[in-house]
Amino acid sequence: MPAHWTKETALKGRGHRSLGRRWRRVSTRSVTGRGPSRDSTGAVIGRWDPAAAARNPRKVSASCMGRRRRRVDRGAAVGALPEAIAALSRTLPAGPSPEIFRRAKFDRPEAAPALWQLLFRVLSPLSANGASAPAAQEAQVRVVKSELHSQGYPRRALAQLPEDGSQGSRELLLALAWLLARGPLLERLLAQTRVRLGDEIPLCECEALARPGPPVPRVEADGPVDIRHLQWLMGKLRFQWRKLITSQQEQCALLGKIHSYTRGCHSDRSLGHLSVAETELLRDAEGGQQLLRRLESENVRLEAALHWRRQELVFWRWMDTVLGTCPPEASQPTFVPRIPERGAGEWELVARELQALQEELRGAAEPRRAAWEARVGGWGPEWSAVQRASREAVGLELAALQRAWERGGAAAQPHGPCRLVKSDAGASGGPGLRAAQVIEVLRSREACLEAVLCQLQRQCRQELARLAGALPGLIWILPPGR
Amino acid sequence: MSIVTVQLGQCGNQIGFEVFDALYSDSHCPQGLCSKRENEVYQASCKERFFSEEENGVPIARAVLVDMEPKVINQTLSKAAQSGRWKYGQHSCFCQKQGSGNNWAYGYSVHGPRHEESIMNLIQKEVEKCDCLSGFFIIMSMAGGTGSGLGAFVTQNLQDHYSNSLKMNQIIWPYGTGEVIVQNYNSILTLSHLYRSSDALLVHENDAVHKICAKLMNIKQISFTDINQVLAHQLGSVFQPTYSMEGSYHYRRNPLGELMENLVPHPEFKMLGIRNIPQMSENSLAYSTFTWAGLLKHLRQMLISNSKMEEGIDWQVRPPLSGLPTLGKVSLNRELHFNTSIANLVILRGKDVHSADLGGFKDPALYTSWLAPVNAFNVWKTQRAFSKYEKSAALVSNSQFLLKPLDTIVGKAWNMFASKAYIHQYTKFGIEEEDFLDSFTLLEQVVASYCNL
Repeated sequence: MPAHWTKETALKGRGHRSLGRRWRRVSTRSVTGRGPSRDSTGAVIGRWDPAAAARNPRKVSASCMGRRRRRVDRGAAVGALPEAIAALSRTLPAGPSPEIFRRAKFDRPEAAPALWQLLFRVLSPLSANGASAPAAQEAQVRVVKSELHSQGYPRRALAQLPEDGSQGSRELLLALAWLLARGPLLERLLAQTRVRLGDEIPLCECEALARPGPPVPRVEADGPVDIRHLQWLMGKLRFQWRKLITSQQEQCALLGKIHSYTRGCHSDRSLGHLSVAETELLRDAEGGQQLLRRLESENVRLEAALHWRRQELVFWRWMDTVLGTCPPEASQPTFVPRIPERGAGEWELVARELQALQEELRGAAEPRRAAWEARVGGWGPEWSAVQRASREAVGLELAALQRAWERGGAAAQPHGPCRLVKSDAGASGGPGLRAAQVIEVLRSREACLEAVLCQLQRQCRQELARLAGALPGLIWILPPGR
Repeated sequence: MSIVTVQLGQCGNQIGFEVFDALYSDSHCPQGLCSKRENEVYQASCKERFFSEEENGVPIARAVLVDMEPKVINQTLSKAAQSGRWKYGQHSCFCQKQGSGNNWAYGYSVHGPRHEESIMNLIQKEVEKCDCLSGFFIIMSMAGGTGSGLGAFVTQNLQDHYSNSLKMNQIIWPYGTGEVIVQNYNSILTLSHLYRSSDALLVHENDAVHKICAKLMNIKQISFTDINQVLAHQLGSVFQPTYSMEGSYHYRRNPLGELMENLVPHPEFKMLGIRNIPQMSENSLAYSTFTWAGLLKHLRQMLISNSKMEEGIDWQVRPPLSGLPTLGKVSLNRELHFNTSIANLVILRGKDVHSADLGGFKDPALYTSWLAPVNAFNVWKTQRAFSKYEKSAALVSNSQFLLKPLDTIVGKAWNMFASKAYIHQYTKFGIEEEDFLDSFTLLEQVVASYCNL
């Protein structure tokens, strides 16, 4: 995929230029330096008349179809673009046909709904995985727009598209290509819908934490809110939390049972026992068939992904032409991806804490330094050697502290869910993490959080004491609790 | 999900036996009025919750029996084993040779810490037998000596060791004219300690149940067994399986959790009362038929007028008119003796249960202003009849049911405390006047909160 492609979209829209000229501007990735098949494809595209295409899309498509037919004898190269797009489509969830892509290049309205749906499925995979009813068109449009905005999508034209999802197929196509260019989109989507055979537990939650969830609905209370109602709701939350923990404990107990009962049944010796999915497979033939079908469809998608990877250059060259057919855009301010609100609050907190700590440090360090310097002032030149030595020692200590901090904080944990395997106590290491390690990391994190909690509670108590002192005639009765 | 029961003291052990017996009898009752398959599911659900399996097939109650003297425990164990239908675990009981002389402080400060490890070990063993622990029932009396003091200590320990599990204390409210002179002190100490460490206090009033036995069941010589059986019937009608939601035929897995979430999430309002209808002797049962409309009308009036049973209901009490300012509503309620609810749970069992109309319970006038009926009212249903009653309804209510009894007890205890009567019995074993004052403060707060609904 040509590196210049993302930059192209990010910059201000340009006017028409003949594709021939742009071809020349591309330096190292120039088509002419490639093998014969690529060359011929480039040549085919190069012969289109971009001005004519802009004036009369339909006529151009007919004419270019005609031209293409004449070149059928060129072999695989000619069909390479639809093939590449078809492979891409098979990899994506709800991927539309190559015809839709072609129509989108010419901004045909009939291509828009399919592309809205595709972008929706790609950008909000959490909702697509659930079995809930598909969202309405307006809701899809809104979600797509807000997600693209928060990821920093630069083209304003997309944000201005109507919410009924009837227009803008070309902009949507550009947005899709932008997403593909930006990061490992396909890999991420494939990983999310992977068929999992094992009993998975999540080890680290960074991905879940990084995506801010749907915006919290703000409920405006009409009139004063009775605090008893709030306490009621908090209590309900706490009970549900306890029920959740109890259910998790039950799940663990049952998993343990299944794992011990099926010891020795697995063909893979390193695993040794069956998972729940595998046990179900044995018990229920129909389920086994379903699993097989899911695995087969996943295989199809993976093969499509590989095919796409081999052919994607064709697609990117074609996207260049799509970009070229866009009308020039007015200049727009550069964009910064929106920091999710929740994150912003935490940043502020951290910034304030840091500031407070710095001031504390300064307040502690200044008088000491002054006193020291006052003492040291009268010493001679040998002092500079001592000073240098102590500076070096301090530098070493700081470096050691930093290393320890980094090591303690970021343990080498794999991201995402891992398969749970029960092995004998004495079993020597295989691949993967021991439960003891994970527990240790969790314990240290728990200790950190407890320390933070204690500090916050202390602050609250100090605040309460201050308030209590401010009103001498008042008696404070603490709530029952220990 | 399973519930582990801790039976404490004479009271707890006798009641506990009746509860397990009632649950077992109901689940094996042939007149369930439902299909065989559903009956099996019902049985299995009840069994998983309250009993565990042993090799020879006799279910073992998920219970730990604790008492300071061996007599009652031995009686309970033998009664269960004799029936041949279910039994207690052989090693599930803990008892000592001597009593405690009915001293709350001794039970809390001496017996508790001394036997803490043994008792918690027994409980741990019982918990390990559960695939999934939903929570604990702790059955104890409120005003007794050992049972109460030890019970408060054990509940505190459960809070420390099983902080994620739910705890419901079934407490037996003593007769108003009780024999033990320090029963009010015991009561306030028990209540205040339980309020801090338990999630819900389901109160059974001896006076109320006694009246039910006398008036509804027509029992001439009322023994503790009769009272306990009525109590067990009430508990069974709440905790036997019910459908998990409207239109579903799967039984709910965690009734204890859902009950708590619906009724006691607020930390200041933990006191629950229980009413059920109809309640009659087995002989009369065959000759009676009921409609849901009639049953629910009576149940609703029982709720509003704070009546303990379906006879002698005061029909004059009406919900206050809405639209009154809150303060006006409160004073009007007090004049009319109207029982304001925070949250209610109605459980319906029997024939045509889906046709029952519960609109009367969804009236906002029944509830406090800060909780709407859609959040405050819940209903559980099942077609399967309970204990030979063709139709039966139970109500668990977080309302002002216990406001007056609580206020009375606190008042009496305070009067005694003001003259420091009998305090030395408590200070001797480490319960200081400070602890009494803390208890009074907490309970006064509870009374005030319930009053200002």
